Amino acid sequence: MKDLVEYIAKAIVNAPDDVVVTEETGDEGTTLKLQVADDDKGRVIGKQGRVAQAMRTLIRVLAAKQGTRATLEIL
Amino acid sequence: MEVTVVKEGKHGILGLGAEEAKVRVRPLAKVPEKVDETVGETVGETVKGVLETLLERMGVEAAVASQTKPPLEGGGEASDVVALDVTGDDLGILIGRRGQTLASLQYIVRLIVAHQTKARVPIVVDVEGYKQRRYEALQALAHRMAEQVRVRGRPFTLEPMMAYERRIIHLALADDPDVTTESVGEGEARKVVIMPKGSKPD
Repeated sequence: MKDLVEYIAKAIVNAPDDVVVTEETGDEGTTLKLQVADDDKGRVIGKQGRVAQAMRTLIRVLAAKQGTRATLEIL
Repeated sequence: MEVTVVKEGKHGILGLGAEEAKVRVRPLAKVPEKVDETVGETVGETVKGVLETLLERMGVEAAVASQTKPPLEGGGEASDVVALDVTGDDLGILIGRRGQTLASLQYIVRLIVAHQTKARVPIVVDVEGYKQRRYEALQALAHRMAEQVRVRGRPFTLEPMMAYERRIIHLALADDPDVTTESVGEGEARKVVIMPKGSKPD
């Protein structure tokens, strides 16, 4: 799941080398934590959280395929 | 970038009668650097590559066909539209409820391509012809509901829809002699009201 978030984030930020994604699996499914350069935060969140929302929708597809749930947090 | 002067500007006299020049800017077929493994020869191929990479990482097995179409009449776009159609088995998951997942997929593809090519490329992503079917269904719905409004003489409010879907309704009834349409509400809840001509939404 990390791969998907990493690919999208790196492709839309100005500092792709600063993109860090961690993945933790717990009772509630997978938690993905996305960290980007301060200047890029707005790019991965978007106006009214639109980019983050779209990423979550795509992650949900992958999670559903794997029979699990996933949440995305932007740090 | 290729820049074409559509209309020369005028300096006017002391700024009076000055007109801004109109230029059409379209991205050249060659994609600039800064595109990683998804690099392609043309914008169309780059866009296709981005979508293929996304689908692969989403665990979706599907084929992507890319087509470049001239901009739609009155669509307000200057450059060619890259239309991508995804085909495969069991792709309902890619469309989602009322096309929400498909909308997110298209949004992310546009975002990535815009960032990588530094150009505004109009991109339309469709899955198994969903948008075409939805287009026809919405047009039929618009005409059916307009008929109801005509008969009853009262406004009718449709379900909340996405912007491009509301646009289909507005356009379908734009030339209707008896009804007018208007969008009301905010954000996700925005919907079209079909009204008898001369009345206002509540």
